[in-house]
This record gives sequence, structure tokens and C-alpha cells, in this order.
Amino acid sequence: MCPVKRALVIGAGIAGMQAALDIANSGYEVVLVDKMPSIGGRMAQLSETFPTLDCAQCILTPRTVEVGHHDNIRLYTYSEVESITGEVGDFTVRIRRHPAYVNWDICTGCGVCQEKCPKRVPAEFERFMGPRKAIYTVSPQAVPNKPVIDRDNCIYFQRGKCRVCERYCPVGAIDFEQQESFHEERVGAIILATGYDLYPLAKIGEYGYGRIPDVIDGLAFERLLSASGPTAHLARRPSDGKEPKEVVFIQCVGSRDPEHYMSYCSKICCMYTAKHAMLYKHKVHDGQAYVFYIDIRSAGKRYEEFVQRAMEEERVLYVRGKVSRVFRENGKVMVWGTDTLSGRNVEVAADLVVLAPAMVPKAGAGAVAELLGLPTDEHGWFTAAEANFQPVETGRAGVFLAGAAVGPMDIPETVAQASGAAAKVLSLFARWSSEVTVTSQVTVT
Amino acid sequence: MRKIGVFVCHCGLNIAGTVDVKRVVEAVKEYPGVVFATDYKYMCSDPGQALIQKAIADHELDGVVVAACSPAMHEVTFRKTARAAGVNPYLTEIANIREQISWVHEAEPDAATVKAIEIIETIIEKVRYDEPLEPFSLPLVKRALVIGGGIAGMTAALHIADAGYPVVLVEREAQLGGKMGQLSSLYLNFDTAPDLLQSRIEAVTRHPNIQVLTEAEVTELGGYVGNFTAKVNGSEPFTFDVGAIVVATGFDLLPQSELGEYGGGRYPDVIDSLQFEHMLAQDEIRRPSDGTLPKEVVWVQCAGSRDPELHKPYCSKICCMYVAKQAMAYKQRVPDGQAYVFYIDIRSQGKGYEEFVQRAMTEYDVLYLRGKVARVFAEDGRVVVWGVDTLSGKAVEVQADLVVLATAAVPSAGARDLAQRLRVSTDEYGFFSEAHPKLRPVESLTAGIFLAGAAQFPKDIPETVAQASGAAAKVLGLFAQREMVQEPTIAFVDEELCAGCGLCVAACPYEARVMHPWKPIAVVQTALCQGCGACVVACPNKASSLHNLATEQLLAMMEPVL
Repeated sequence: MCPVKRALVIGAGIAGMQAALDIANSGYEVVLVDKMPSIGGRMAQLSETFPTLDCAQCILTPRTVEVGHHDNIRLYTYSEVESITGEVGDFTVRIRRHPAYVNWDICTGCGVCQEKCPKRVPAEFERFMGPRKAIYTVSPQAVPNKPVIDRDNCIYFQRGKCRVCERYCPVGAIDFEQQESFHEERVGAIILATGYDLYPLAKIGEYGYGRIPDVIDGLAFERLLSASGPTAHLARRPSDGKEPKEVVFIQCVGSRDPEHYMSYCSKICCMYTAKHAMLYKHKVHDGQAYVFYIDIRSAGKRYEEFVQRAMEEERVLYVRGKVSRVFRENGKVMVWGTDTLSGRNVEVAADLVVLAPAMVPKAGAGAVAELLGLPTDEHGWFTAAEANFQPVETGRAGVFLAGAAVGPMDIPETVAQASGAAAKVLSLFARWSSEVTVTSQVTVT
Repeated sequence: MRKIGVFVCHCGLNIAGTVDVKRVVEAVKEYPGVVFATDYKYMCSDPGQALIQKAIADHELDGVVVAACSPAMHEVTFRKTARAAGVNPYLTEIANIREQISWVHEAEPDAATVKAIEIIETIIEKVRYDEPLEPFSLPLVKRALVIGGGIAGMTAALHIADAGYPVVLVEREAQLGGKMGQLSSLYLNFDTAPDLLQSRIEAVTRHPNIQVLTEAEVTELGGYVGNFTAKVNGSEPFTFDVGAIVVATGFDLLPQSELGEYGGGRYPDVIDSLQFEHMLAQDEIRRPSDGTLPKEVVWVQCAGSRDPELHKPYCSKICCMYVAKQAMAYKQRVPDGQAYVFYIDIRSQGKGYEEFVQRAMTEYDVLYLRGKVARVFAEDGRVVVWGVDTLSGKAVEVQADLVVLATAAVPSAGARDLAQRLRVSTDEYGFFSEAHPKLRPVESLTAGIFLAGAAQFPKDIPETVAQASGAAAKVLGLFAQREMVQEPTIAFVDEELCAGCGLCVAACPYEARVMHPWKPIAVVQTALCQGCGACVVACPNKASSLHNLATEQLLAMMEPVL
């Protein structure tokens, strides 16, 4: 049988989108699956990106729009891969699509349902600092721009009465009877781009996360800095909405800590923390930012210079040392630590503490690994076939890796590597293609 | 008269936070030719685009102005949107009211709003004069040129060749392999580098689709994406056509003679890290001065890196890891020796990297000292290293037998000249510039020229290999097209007005203007024209014009702002 020149990409963050676009733009079809109702992944949550401070949405939306409208890309959002059988050249993929309770074929994305829905819920996308409705799209620029009903919070599903969304929907797209659906796709190659989560900080007691409202994680701070975020890009602290004047950033929370948490370095935190401190200073000119670090890891093009700028131009105070205690006192968050360079103890009465948690594999990545019989490392990251020469290959023919599914990785590295995974797929497809025959020895004269 | 619709985007608060979008809509509604105007939160979102398409149908628009972000962001998006609703894409224009207004006039919302109205009006005038255009197609040469035969270039070449396309691989040296050919082993597993490399070299040299030209350099490049003509000088000169180019010229080490402060170039027992690799590869760890086995070895990291005052301000990215590897490899061979590493920050960012450095410290007892080296001098046949341990605050003195400098990685010699020949930009250090630091890391700003490996910035082997594959994907994507599509917004010559003076030929920076072989007029080589307008300025007879930027059009566009 002819091998199938069609690819499956699991995960539609920046890695999965890049891989899908590289393949689709070469004329092959791609099936792109994501658990979320819309594409864009983590990058959609970011405010601005280092080292150029480009707004993340501004550079991301051209990509999400291109993916959403691409003739060669079939999108399955709010979906999960249920099973994969077969081998390279002929995999059969069974996809389970969660019920949105909205008929997306007729929904126009007008947004009236979201406006009228009486139930407000803290939004995951906003790190629970801003609201969404029980019927919602993840963000205003969602692709596809179709809402889903969150059954657990929907008044009708919970109490049997309401149906306000149904009443107001101008096209009759609400469908409370909708069931999950199953779809089968045949593909010849697979790219895993499942991404990352943040270490559940509630499990790390020592920095007060979960107990002190003004201790937040880096992703929450991204939302606070975002134009579309819950505070409309003003730095405001969660407890009382005041502008924080002293902000402490703590790096390596759960990273580089083999005794208690993760032994590895999460790679991206040094840079985004420098960015956070810088953006904070751009908004609060008379504020003071402190960064607790072990080593500053700014190894990348213009990265070192970026951190230097944070120190020299924005006067961000870098303190080399671990934080020993974080506690609440008189409306402040007290941070005690040691400056290992001076050997002295440091105490900061902070208004806000931002933690840079360890990156961990995306929940569900393990299940995907199992579907394909692929190994993961002791932390749950996918492993490359060979670290140096085969960084995007897995042990299985026709299955490749893109982005932070392999381990912490920043955006440029992710994008380059996702294109690398696409190249593997394109090489395979080209070899299967009857049109391209290996030409005889090239000679230039 | 053209029926124009104006669509004003809020971009969340990016625009609407400064510009009064409602006032803008009311004002432009009144402008001649505008039959519809509205605003929306995110015009680039699906409902935003649907709104544009609906308005085109409802009001039979034949011209569209989207007032939003820079055309670099969403011009393609909106032109596609309009085309799907039946409006020629070149009758859809962007008025940039974000980068040019809201982001730069945050402090003056009133004036910003007025300026937004004026800018939109200029673009309305532009659309009024725009002619419907179609992109035209050009042939595409499906052969790639890869410059540099290190691990990056070989990886890219193999991918392209495996997909069935011919590749010419040009290498300056006599051998393939690049810097990797000088390494003893690789972190994290101490795999023997030459063995791994040899299999790649064989795959490249045996590949029927790859032609390797060694001891050869690209001396000239003409043409444009899809149709470059390259001249290569080697044992015999070649000229050939290629459609795409991968630059994989790699890196060099900063010459240690420039690092006199660390004894570089002054003492025989101060060497650089590639010299130490050579010792490891030969399994001959000896002091250059007297051939004895060094028992105390000091590695100095950041020698020339992270040193904006004297050398390079950037971090060379690969040194932390290879120094840990070298120190461990040394201890494997000299178990009773002592290894010291002076560092500023330990940058072991990568899968298993942190754990690897931890092993160097705990299993191999490599002594890491956080601090800069203050002085290196020779005394009694040894090299004395003075430094400060910034953690204890104490001065440290090591009587070393051998000092290894992890010298800064710099662009490969000649990279700047090559960049000029290729018309590709570099940064201030000579590393090739990527098209966008986040989202286009393997493309240069010159269409059809892609970047692989350390030519762009220092990177280690796994990252180089992944990124070189990425560059290959871009070439494959290009070659998957049937033909090249060229933007039609380029120059043309009015034959009636042209006096054949030839000033435009001299003015054109893209060699896109030549004299007609027999008629006394200038002609445009459409494939080369980038639409810059230099010819329009140079022409004394107004015979040169740009499609959709005609002189009368520009004058009309000036009207609203005067």
C-alpha cells in the first residue's frame, strides 16, 4: 500500500503550529489536534517577549490566523488523541472531540452567549485572576472563535434551569444534547508537540504560594502585564489591587533542587524574570525590583545584553542566593534570604512576590507516550533517539518531537526545532512521493 | 468612484487605550468615497474578519482600509480576507495606527486621534488610486547551495538531498567536519566525536544528490530567491544556479593572543579549549612547555565573553558545558590531578546538563570557583592564577601546570565578507541576523537565504542539528512550490517618456534595471525589482513609476495631512 503523505501534529502551541505550517506550506495535509478549545498554547498567555519586547499576541496572531484558515490544515481543537495504531506510513488515529454544547458549524462567534451568560468563573487563561463565563472562548482572539460550555459551571447543567445562552443565540447553535464525537484519520507521520506545564506550586510550601494572595507565579504576572489581561496591563497586586512598589522575583522555584523537587534547570526562567522585572519598571517607574537567583543563565543571542540592561538601566537588584522564608506581615510579604556574595542576610518587605516555577511535562503527555509505546525520562519528558544527532527523532520510525515536549525550551529554540521536526516529515514524504525521484549525481559546470 | 470601507481595530487596548476609535470612525465616515466605517476589538480575529467580509458584500465595497497594526503583521491576513469576499488584494491597504500612533503618542490621546484620522485618510486616497494587481510567477530552480561543511551544513544538506533535491555543499577547508572534527568527545555521554562525525561525512560524500566542493568559496552571488547564480572558486571555478541557500559557516575562537590578561599568547602552558580537545583526542595530556603530565589544571571560563569593556559583551553559550566535560575527561585520565574552574555563572541549561555539571563537582571533585581571574603569570615553571572566590570573598591562588582558556566564540573568519556578497545582514559582531528573533530563527532577512548553526550565534551540537534541520525544512517548503510568486507592486517604465539616459540603471540597488538591447529605453527586470522606488527618484522625465505608488497617487495621499 502507498504510504500516507499526511501528518498528525499533537499540540497546537507555537511548536505544533510551526511544524504544521512548515508541512502544510509544502503542500501536504496536516491533522492538528489540541486539548484546548483554541490554538496558540502557552505563548498566547504571554505579555511581551524577550529580548525585543515584542508583544506576544501581536506576533502570534498572524500564525494562529494562518493555521486557522489554512487549506491543508484540519483542526481538531477541544480534542484528544484516543488511540494510534499502525506504523510509519500508515497510522490510524482515533480522535475524541469533547462536546462543546455548541454547534460550531453554525455558530458565528458573535459572542452574545458569553455576554448574556449569568455565571462568572475565574478564568484558567487568566491564572484565575480574571473572570470568564460558563460559556466561553479562551481569549478574544481565539482561533477558532467558537465557544464551549463548561459543564461543571453551567447553571443549566448543574441545576436544570437557565438556558440563557440558548435563548439569546441568534443562530440556534447551542446544543445541550451534544455528545462527544469520535473521528478517525489516517496519517503517515506524527509530531508530538505537547508542551509544558508549571510545577504545581501548591506542593511547594516554603514560598507561601496558595496561602499568601500576593505570591503569584510567573505566568500570572504575564497576565497582569498583558494588554488583554485582567488588569489591562497595569501592574496590580491580587490582594487589594494596589500598585506594588517593591516586587521580589524568585528564580529556580522547584528547579535545580534534586533533594526536594526537580534536579534540572528550567532554562527559560532567567530570561523571562529579567523581562518581568524590566516590564514592571516600565510601568512603575519608582518601583524597585529584586531578583533572587543561583546563576544567571542568559545564554542566547542578545540575552546577556538584555539582563545587563535590566541591571544597569532599570536598576533591578540581583541578589545571588536562595530565599529561606516568605511570610506575611502588616500587609506586606516579607522575603528573607541570604546574599551569598556578601554573606549577609537580606530582608525585603515586598508588595508582590513572583515565583518562577519549574517547568514540567504537560499533563497527558505520559498518556500520549503510552499510546505510541515511547519512553519518557524520569521526569516525564519525551526522549530524543540520540541527544546530539537525532534531537527531534524518537525511537519510533515516523514519530518526531517538537518544542518543550522534550524539555524546557524557549520560543526561538522551539520554533527552530519544530521546523526541524517538520523537515524530518517532509524528507519522509518526499521519499514516498513518486514525483520526486532521486536524481543522478549532480554536477555543476 | 471606488466604494471604500474603513475598519478600525482596537487591538484590545493597544490602540483603543490611546486613540478614540469611535471618534475616528465618525470622522472617516464623512470622507469622500467612504461608504462604510466601523470599529472592532480585534479585527484580525475570526469575527473581525467576518465583519469585513459581510460589509464587503452588504455595501458592495471595492476598496478596503484596515486601520490597525503595522502591515508587517497582518497585511497578508486582511488581503486574504478581502480576496475571499471578492476584493482584489491590492485594493486592500493597512493604515498603521498602532506602531505609528497609539504606541508612540500614549501621552497625547487627542492629538493621536487626530493623527489617526489623517493617516487613515491618506490610505483612503491610496486605495482610491490603487489598481487591481495580480502577483506574477517566476521559475524556481530546485537546487540548494549549502555554505559550510560542518555539522550544521552537512545536516541541512542531507535533509534536502534526502528529499530528492540536488545540493551543492561548499567547504573552505580540505575536509568536511568543521569544528566538530576537532573535538575529542561529546557531552553528555563522552561519545567519541570522530566516530559519529565520520558516519555523517560518509553519508554526505556518498549521497547521489550532494556534490561536495572542498577548498572552495562562494565568490559571487547574483539573482534572487528561486533563481540565484553562484560563483564558486576552488580548484576549478564553477558558476551555477540555485533556488535556495543555507549559510552554515560556523564559528571560530577568539585568538588567545588577544587575551593577554589571562596569559594568552604569552605562556606556552596557557592554551585554548580546542588545543585541549586535541590533547584529549590524542590521549596525550602534556604540558606544551616540557611535556610533563599536568597535575593542576585551571579552566578559565568567559575568557573574552561577557566582557563588554575589553572583549565581547555576549555569552558564548557552549563553554560551561564543554569545560565541565573537559575537566571530567581530564580526571578520567589523570585521577590524581586537580581541576579548577573559574566561572561567573554556570550555564548548564539543557536536558541533563545541570546533572552533568553536578557530576563534575561531586563525582570528579572538580573545584568550581565563582569569580573572575585577576592575574595569570609564570613563576618557577608554573602558571600562577590569581583570582577571587566571590562566594567566600577570599583571594585564591592556584599554582597551575596548565591553564585552559574557554575563549569567546566569534563568527567564522570571512563571515562578514560573505554576508556582503550574499546581501545578508549581520549583527555588530558579524553573526548572521535572523529574520525575527522569536518566530523566524532560521531565516535571514533576504528571501531564499537560510541560517544554520553557529553562523547565527554560538550553539551546541544538539541545537545546531535541530536548527539545521529547521533551515532544511524552509528550503523544502520553498521547493515544494511549483513556481515563485512575485509581488506585483514593482516599478515600470513608460516607454513614451523614457529618454534612455540610463540614470535609473545606476540608481537601482538590485541590478533590476538595464538598457534595452537595441531600443534607447530602460527596462525593468521584474524578477529582481524590489519596488524600492530609487528609479522613480532618479528619473528626470517621470518615466519610472511604481505600481500602486504612482506620483499622482502620492500627491493625493499628501492632501489630507497638509
